[in-house]
Amino acid sequence: MVASIDTGLEFLRQVLALRAYRQEILSADIANASTPGFKAVDLDFASALNAATRHPTSKAPPNSRRLLLVDDPRQMTVKENGGDLREAASNFVKYQAGAEVTLDGNSVDLNQEKTSAAENAVQYEAAATFTTQTLRMLMTAINGSGSQQSSGS
Amino acid sequence: MSAGSMSLFGALSIAGSAMSAESERLSAIASNLANANSAVAPGGQPYRAREVVFQAVSANDGDDASSVGMDGVKVAAVVESSAPAQSVYDPSSSFADKSGYVQMPNVNPVDEMVNMISAQQDYQANLEAFNVAKTLALRTLTI
Repeated sequence: MVASIDTGLEFLRQVLALRAYRQEILSADIANASTPGFKAVDLDFASALNAATRHPTSKAPPNSRRLLLVDDPRQMTVKENGGDLREAASNFVKYQAGAEVTLDGNSVDLNQEKTSAAENAVQYEAAATFTTQTLRMLMTAINGSGSQQSSGS
Repeated sequence: MSAGSMSLFGALSIAGSAMSAESERLSAIASNLANANSAVAPGGQPYRAREVVFQAVSANDGDDASSVGMDGVKVAAVVESSAPAQSVYDPSSSFADKSGYVQMPNVNPVDEMVNMISAQQDYQANLEAFNVAKTLALRTLTI
């Protein structure tokens, strides 16, 4: 039972991390909307999430207590969990095809980037809401009544 | 840098770098427009239009520069336009040479205005991206 709860949260954690990663990529596209020679990229979110969930982080055992120890500086680095996911996701960052290329070699379509960023933001909020609800559900199971111990509001 | 776990901070810094770069672009445009009519005496060098050159730069301290995307932007150089200086026939001007021509800067106001619109739109888009990333980061705090 606990394992199934954990996988649900782990899945949402990966969704949030990938959505944030895609937001960063779209942000970089918008930032370079006038940079000569810059080619627009995007994250293939579905493939990245597929790969992330097909290969769960079995290498790093989910021993959360280890993260609290600070006697070794390596334990505080973010490469342990977030770095792996990020590196794996960077394989799914692809150049956008079909966009109009300007005379200076720039292929950023500002309108499309803004649309994608807005859509991605909504998806991120949705995943965050799902996480909140999952945690609230857990609190309901623990307390027997949901509303008084809800951490969301 | 902690961008590995919180990509949203990376998005914030990327949008921020673009906003400062676009500001510099707007400064160059303002300078060009302000000096569009700065005539000089014969033999002097007229003002030359300035253009900023943008360059993509890795936003996260260059530790994984191999990855595609995730680039901020910076002003790599400010170059002077190579367009020829304009000569305006105005014999009554005190700056006119013997033939009656005045050396004027090579600023093209139409170019500058179009460039300004583009810079404004880019700045707005980046401000929007910044605000969205900020909203998402704050939303994450309320999980």
